Amino acid sequence: MIFFITLLLVCLYLAGGYRMPFAYAGLIGQAAAMGSRGIQLGRLPIVGPHDTLFFMSLSTALFGVAVTYRMEDRRNILSPILILASSFALFSLLYPPHDTPLPPVLRTFWFEAHVALSFFSYALFGIAAVLGVLYLMKADRKTEVLQYKAILVGYCFFSAAMIFGGIWAYYAWGTYWLWTPKELFTVILWLFYSLWLHARLRPWWYGRPMAILSVAGFGIVMFTYLGVSLFMKSSHSF
Amino acid sequence: MKILKALAGIFLSLRTAVWLSTVLIILLLAGGFLMPAHEEFQALQTIPLFQWLSETGLGLTWWLLAAIVVISLLAANTLACSAESLLRKKRSRGWLLTISPQLMHTGFLFILLAHLLSSYDSFQGMVMVNEGAWLPLPNGITASFDSIHADVGPTGEIRDWSASLSYYQNEQRISGGTIRPNAPSFIGGLGLYIKTVRPGSRPTALVQVSRDAGAPYALAGGILFLAGMTILLLLKVRRESDQD
Repeated sequence: MIFFITLLLVCLYLAGGYRMPFAYAGLIGQAAAMGSRGIQLGRLPIVGPHDTLFFMSLSTALFGVAVTYRMEDRRNILSPILILASSFALFSLLYPPHDTPLPPVLRTFWFEAHVALSFFSYALFGIAAVLGVLYLMKADRKTEVLQYKAILVGYCFFSAAMIFGGIWAYYAWGTYWLWTPKELFTVILWLFYSLWLHARLRPWWYGRPMAILSVAGFGIVMFTYLGVSLFMKSSHSF
Repeated sequence: MKILKALAGIFLSLRTAVWLSTVLIILLLAGGFLMPAHEEFQALQTIPLFQWLSETGLGLTWWLLAAIVVISLLAANTLACSAESLLRKKRSRGWLLTISPQLMHTGFLFILLAHLLSSYDSFQGMVMVNEGAWLPLPNGITASFDSIHADVGPTGEIRDWSASLSYYQNEQRISGGTIRPNAPSFIGGLGLYIKTVRPGSRPTALVQVSRDAGAPYALAGGILFLAGMTILLLLKVRRESDQD
């Protein structure tokens, strides 16, 4: 069932690149699919690679539709963003859904806020990377400004996610900081986007270097999210 | 005088912040790949960073020592840039837009201070306690575990757990409470956390006792950072809307 729903959503998103109503239908459909799964589980479905990739797909599509709203060449920018959202949805099929009840340590507002904000920021960093590629293909000021806005908002979400994660860790483990690879890579990611936002203020970095950095940044996002969680032992292992 | 001017020029430069951040990212990346390959890093979960650094060889700690030097320079750079920006723009219009990044910088500095304090003065110990046991704490207070509860599901899995405890000092009960996952109890600068339980006729709990001197500063830093960030974002959005 999940397989067919995901395939239908991907088709809608891909068609959304040509006609906007398909994109809206995909977005509503994916939100409904997540909502019904949440009701079935009795919690936010944001645990394990399947659910988080599906949530990242929804976040990417949602922010993609929002940030391109009222743009003249909306279709050109939204199409690759919807392809990215579709890729996350398809990748989610590679992993089994996590249907077991949550351990008590994960049953808290701080955990849900930490995860949800993290994936909102990952989605915005993904959108910024798409915009970076578009900028490298055609240097357009509007694309650059949109990329900056996506990273600024993503950075805010990510910072809030880190702070909420620290509060949760203090209540759960007695310390706001754990020495594990995931925490270290999370700090690297935060420093990287802090660097991006500061470097943009200097003329030398403006334009192509920032676009290249935004693509590289998304590489760090994906490694921090999937690479570290799957291949390194940490408090965030899948 | 010339040297002082040159030093001030370096610390007041945004370029310095960019390059220091780049070096810091490279050092942490090296550590990120080194850490999973060496069991020695596991000890960092239980002993303070500076103690661990003094007991561990340079082969594993070089990136952390270098990162501490770079972070110190970055902190000085942040402080200098923030002070200079506030002095330069004190009479400018749009005071909130001027102050919001500096609030974020102050939050960042508070978080660094928190890490410094935690690296010097933190403590973590684990102990198994039976129901009815007395646990003397490092701060001179004794915890009594009055009862230990486990919520066991139909298939035998433990769904939730908690423990009721009382604190005593000089044989006088001073307070009490219940600890459960994500709901520790704090007494005299120490936190008591229940990690898991073993049900039975005489239930047992795995209890963690910890102290983290940097935690209040980390929270203050987080609040300052969030406040500055929210103001900055709202003002930027409003400015963009006005331009539209």
